[in-house]
Amino acid sequence: MEIYLPIAEMSVNWVFLIGLGLGVGFLSGLFGVGGGFLMTPLLVFYGIPSTVAVGTTLSHVAASSVSGAITQWRRRAIDFKMAGIMLSGGVAGTLIGVWLVDHLRRQGQMDLIVSLSYVLLLGAVGAIMLKESLDTLKAARGGIVAPSRAVARPWIMALPLKTRFRQSRLYISVIPPIVIGVFVGMLSAIMGIGGGFIVVPAMIYILRMPTNVVLGTSLAQIIAIAAITTVLQANTNYAVDILLAFFLVLGGVVGAQAGVRAGAKLRGEQLRFLLAMLVLLVAARLAWGLVATPADIYSTTLGAPD
Amino acid sequence: MRPLFLALLLFAAPALAAEDIVSGLSQDQIEINSSYTGADIVVFGTIERPAAPQGRDIVVVVRGPDTQLTVRRRDRIAGVWVNREAARFQGMPAFYFLAATRPLAQIAGPEVLDRYGLGLSHLAPATVITHHDPQPFREAALRQLRARGLYTEAPGSIDFHSEGLFKTVVPIPAAAARGQYNVEVYLFRDGNVVSVQSTPFFIDQTGLERRLYTLAHNSPTAYGFAAVLMALLFGWTASVWMRRMGS
Repeated sequence: MEIYLPIAEMSVNWVFLIGLGLGVGFLSGLFGVGGGFLMTPLLVFYGIPSTVAVGTTLSHVAASSVSGAITQWRRRAIDFKMAGIMLSGGVAGTLIGVWLVDHLRRQGQMDLIVSLSYVLLLGAVGAIMLKESLDTLKAARGGIVAPSRAVARPWIMALPLKTRFRQSRLYISVIPPIVIGVFVGMLSAIMGIGGGFIVVPAMIYILRMPTNVVLGTSLAQIIAIAAITTVLQANTNYAVDILLAFFLVLGGVVGAQAGVRAGAKLRGEQLRFLLAMLVLLVAARLAWGLVATPADIYSTTLGAPD
Repeated sequence: MRPLFLALLLFAAPALAAEDIVSGLSQDQIEINSSYTGADIVVFGTIERPAAPQGRDIVVVVRGPDTQLTVRRRDRIAGVWVNREAARFQGMPAFYFLAATRPLAQIAGPEVLDRYGLGLSHLAPATVITHHDPQPFREAALRQLRARGLYTEAPGSIDFHSEGLFKTVVPIPAAAARGQYNVEVYLFRDGNVVSVQSTPFFIDQTGLERRLYTLAHNSPTAYGFAAVLMALLFGWTASVWMRRMGS
């Protein structure tokens, strides 16, 4: 059951890897997210070097997102113009991120920055999602209907370089989507995430896109970013382990399909509540790792001078 | 003067050709394939023309390829543990294994052990780069590498099968670096090295592992695209397959 990974240069249990892919894939199908935020920390807990974990998780994210994207594409629920403009920012962000990873690795601060980014981001997003889902659940019980879609925020309306997004029925500046793209591209390279849990809220709350195109557009953008980041990580950090990716993807695609079916049986706000709890749990576990007194304050790395 | 010296040497040769060792390895190549979980190398040898066993010792050392050890120390900053101080030790072996007939201190004096780099406490890096006292970093590195099975000092682990036939088993963990390893067998007589024999062996990837590693480093763009394509193909296949199952 042991297999030697050529890039991570370690022996691992491949049955465990398929199981991990299956489990994370199920959750990503269930919640409609890429699952990178779970996969990267789990791989690091398992002992995969964090650079390889970050570089490899994105192929799993791409694979789990493909079937969702195909479904949305059939429904014509993808705003390709929006996805393309976000992607142009995303490529720039990814380049910055990959360079940062290289730099941090040399400084020995890679693990710290990855953990810190996770704790801050997951903590914030989890808290917002929890509050929002609780409000919706309460409102539903009280019979109050939450306002569904408001007009774009005034500061966004004031920005120049406006263009029409027909599919999203929006006429806004290209600057906010590009800025969101840069931010998500950076996170994708540093944290090994597709960024769905950032992109989706950003599309709803900042860009005010209609919810029916949000999922498809974010999936299309995530797949593109995951693909580009994987190629860049392979070039800059030699951090993509294709054998590791193979086992994760194998379990991941099956799990994602099962997750989508299970998700259809649950209500949206219940799903968001469960996802919020999961996100907060991961954040709390990583925060504990940062503040708990380590068993050994020294760490030794072998290798050629960076 | 010179012919006389040579004649003397020839004459004295049979008397000088005292004890010697001949050693060998169970294999000269360890191949990392997909089922690799580490390996055991057996070092065996014989003592030729053995003299009295008292005062005779054998030390077997296995050294991996030279590498740099980076040791970092964490410190608490605003409640968070952060890597702060570091020390780099260059020219240290990536793997070190030592077996001996007795504890090293009983075999030879510290100068001899230092000269041949025998024993973890006599292992000296070529250069040390740090702004701090390197000693605690060095101790931490040795402790951690021992725990990972990369550095081992095992006195008393040489088995004698007969008066002159010995062997020792060297466990190589899966995490040991690839490259050239040197096995040195030292014969000591009364605290001095009288004979050394050095034999290399290699650890390298083979088959699929090697092809993937080479591809990843030689054509990283193609390799990256292959990873993406595999992921997309798997995702697409699963979705087509599930739709067929569903309908």
